[in-house]
Amino acid sequence: MSTGPYNYSYIFKYIIIGDMGVGKSCLLHQFTEKKFMADCPHTIGVEFGTRIIEVSGQKVKLQIWDTAGQERFRAVTRSYYRGAAGALMVYDITRRSTYNHLSSWLTDTRNLTNSSTVIFLIGNKCDLEGQRDVTYEEASKFAEENGLLFVEASAKTGDNVEEAFLETAKKIYQSIQDGRLDLNAAESGVQHKPSQPGRNNLSNDQQTNRDNCAC
Amino acid sequence: MVVDPEKEHVLSKRLNKILESRVENDQDTIEALRELSTFYTENTLQARRNLRSQIEKRSLDINENFLTAFKQVKESFDSVYNDVSEMNKCIQDMTHRLQNAKSQTKQLLQKTKTLQEEKEKILMKQKVTSAFLQTFQLKQDEIVALHADKNKRESPLNFDTFKALERVQEIHNNCKLLMQAGLQTLALDTMEQMTLHQEGALEVLYRWTQSHCRNVDNPDLTNIIMKAMSKLQDRPVLFKYVIDEYCICRRSFLVGEFINALTRGGPSGNPAPIEMRAHDTQIYVTDMLVWINKAIPIEKQNLHLLVKLCDFEGLNEILTNALASICEDICQPLKIRIEKILTTPHQASTMYAVVNMLRYYKKCILKIVKGGQLEETLNDLQDKSEQKFLGSLSEQVNSLLVRVEAPPRDLTPTSAISNLLAILRDMLSTASMSEGRETDMVKIANTALEPLLRAVNEQASRLPPTDMAVYLLNCTYSIYTCLSLYEFMEDRLERLQAQSDAQIDTLTSEQASSLVANLNLGPIYTILQDHTQGPLSGIPGMEPSNLRNFLSKLDHFAAQPDSILLPQINLLLSSMHKKAVQKRSFDVLLAIYKQLYEAVHNPVNLYEDPNSILDKTPEDLTQMFS
Repeated sequence: MSTGPYNYSYIFKYIIIGDMGVGKSCLLHQFTEKKFMADCPHTIGVEFGTRIIEVSGQKVKLQIWDTAGQERFRAVTRSYYRGAAGALMVYDITRRSTYNHLSSWLTDTRNLTNSSTVIFLIGNKCDLEGQRDVTYEEASKFAEENGLLFVEASAKTGDNVEEAFLETAKKIYQSIQDGRLDLNAAESGVQHKPSQPGRNNLSNDQQTNRDNCAC
Repeated sequence: MVVDPEKEHVLSKRLNKILESRVENDQDTIEALRELSTFYTENTLQARRNLRSQIEKRSLDINENFLTAFKQVKESFDSVYNDVSEMNKCIQDMTHRLQNAKSQTKQLLQKTKTLQEEKEKILMKQKVTSAFLQTFQLKQDEIVALHADKNKRESPLNFDTFKALERVQEIHNNCKLLMQAGLQTLALDTMEQMTLHQEGALEVLYRWTQSHCRNVDNPDLTNIIMKAMSKLQDRPVLFKYVIDEYCICRRSFLVGEFINALTRGGPSGNPAPIEMRAHDTQIYVTDMLVWINKAIPIEKQNLHLLVKLCDFEGLNEILTNALASICEDICQPLKIRIEKILTTPHQASTMYAVVNMLRYYKKCILKIVKGGQLEETLNDLQDKSEQKFLGSLSEQVNSLLVRVEAPPRDLTPTSAISNLLAILRDMLSTASMSEGRETDMVKIANTALEPLLRAVNEQASRLPPTDMAVYLLNCTYSIYTCLSLYEFMEDRLERLQAQSDAQIDTLTSEQASSLVANLNLGPIYTILQDHTQGPLSGIPGMEPSNLRNFLSKLDHFAAQPDSILLPQINLLLSSMHKKAVQKRSFDVLLAIYKQLYEAVHNPVNLYEDPNSILDKTPEDLTQMFS
């Protein structure tokens, strides 16, 4: 019980997507562990991370799916879009190809998530200014055109990493406040805290059922 | 002639007197007459004439005789006189001498008297002095006891030494009294002397103790060594040296014993040498640790015996350090052996047993001896064994997962996954009973789960979407079932739960699409969504006949809900998952039906007798499916 699973009010589900090698796992690691992970291996399928943050005075648990960039895992990773309240779409500012693929990532995201999903564009590796291949302005324009939040970040130095995750959460929280996000919909990507009755009865049922099975 | 009258008178008188005298009365005359009768024998003239001469002659003779006799007498007298005068002389000499002697003796007497008085004084002094010595000085035997025999190096210490030492102390203390009595110089001298004695004695004591301390467990020596240590405690440096010496002895003794136990075993091979069973890692490690765990308390006991009579501040710290120091040498052989075990490949479960053994005995041993190299070694070994254990676990896991098997047709977890889960369950069961189980269990779960989940993803990525979701759900379910039995798995379970949720969503969407397709609901749904104006009944595909057709299919489905379920749904291991997918996909169906029902019953859409077309209300349908 070290993480204190019940001392938060909401669970927000995030998904991190983008081409292979743009630094998705490093961003997650930087966000959850506040450390840079050098020579991070390729993600197989999906990885998972959590962290409790505070949004407007509310404790929120982020459940973050870090997906594999490799094409062969696309089928596996697609499953995780559906329940995401926030999608962090990552490209590498030193590799234009990763930027060019953004529109296809965006299409996927729009198709697989619901309309209220907050999409945040992150230009990673901004510490490698010398090798920049995509200008800030260009990406910023792309984000604006597609209604995305945008920031350039560095998983290595930690610049803007925290901000990207927190901004997304703020935006989601706003949607809840505005009533744009239906908490009762299975695919909203937001849950009230597990102890609250009503929502999440599925997992409770599963729990009891599994206990029975185990005997 | 004139006759004087007077003359005539004298003569007359004389004559008278003669005449008057009576001869017979005169004795002398008689005597003289008798004498005369002897030689006058014959009364002759001659004789008468001669008488006179004869008498004269005779008187002469008598006188002559008398003279001779008297001469002799005189001579005798003379000689007597000489003798006497000689004697007198002698006596006079003697008297003189006596006089001299007398005058001389007087001095002597006086001297003697003085001497005698002096003697008395001296005797008194002697008494005082001996009393003083008795009280303030050591006796010869005490000195011997204190300083031992300088000639014999290894003279045995005995209790007299301690008695003497105590006396030294006592005298030292008594000196204070002396000091108070005003005898300061004496007191100080005595004190100094006693201090010297004490130092000397302690030195002897120290040497002896240092060379004998190792035998503290020898019952003959125990008491005396204990006593010696208690004396030495006043001299921290000496005390420490003895303890150091003791440590050095015991250290080498202990390591010797350890090596013996390892290689030679007990007397006549019973118990057998520990290394005989080196092939059985667990037994080997246990035996070694048990031996140490048994030997150290004895060392501790002996050490405490050594200082039993000592009590001063900081003693405990000294003892702790000493014990740690005693245990130093066994570290190396232990370390070498256990590290050797750790470097040879072993099953993760064996390694885990070693880890737990090390932990348990570390705890036991550290209760007895704190700090020092042993603690370091044990910590080090524990860390290493934990690393090795996780290493071998991850190796074992990886070797099981090295080949990416295709999932079986029934989409249950592959045998490799099941095996791995069985291993994981074993590990967690063991870990849940061990020390520090939380970190262990989390580490074990992490080590096994990360590669496991990756492998599952890898396998799943090669399947079509529905199969993938089912396979992932089945695997997640198996893992969840396995982990949910244990504590501290919340983080893992949360992840698995989230993963299940995602797959259930996927599956629901697949199943809902399939339902819609099977019931030919697709076009109807599209029309319902897109329709904006004009009555629905006029739109092709929304004719009552078509709707009735749909309804009959729906009835058929309601009667046999399983018939148009995706076959893969039945392959779900968890009935809960199955129900959830069913329920949620039915919910989708119901939502569409509700929309349709409302549209049909909406007069705007110009359906005749809507109840005959859709005879079931959404509520009816809900009931049918629930």
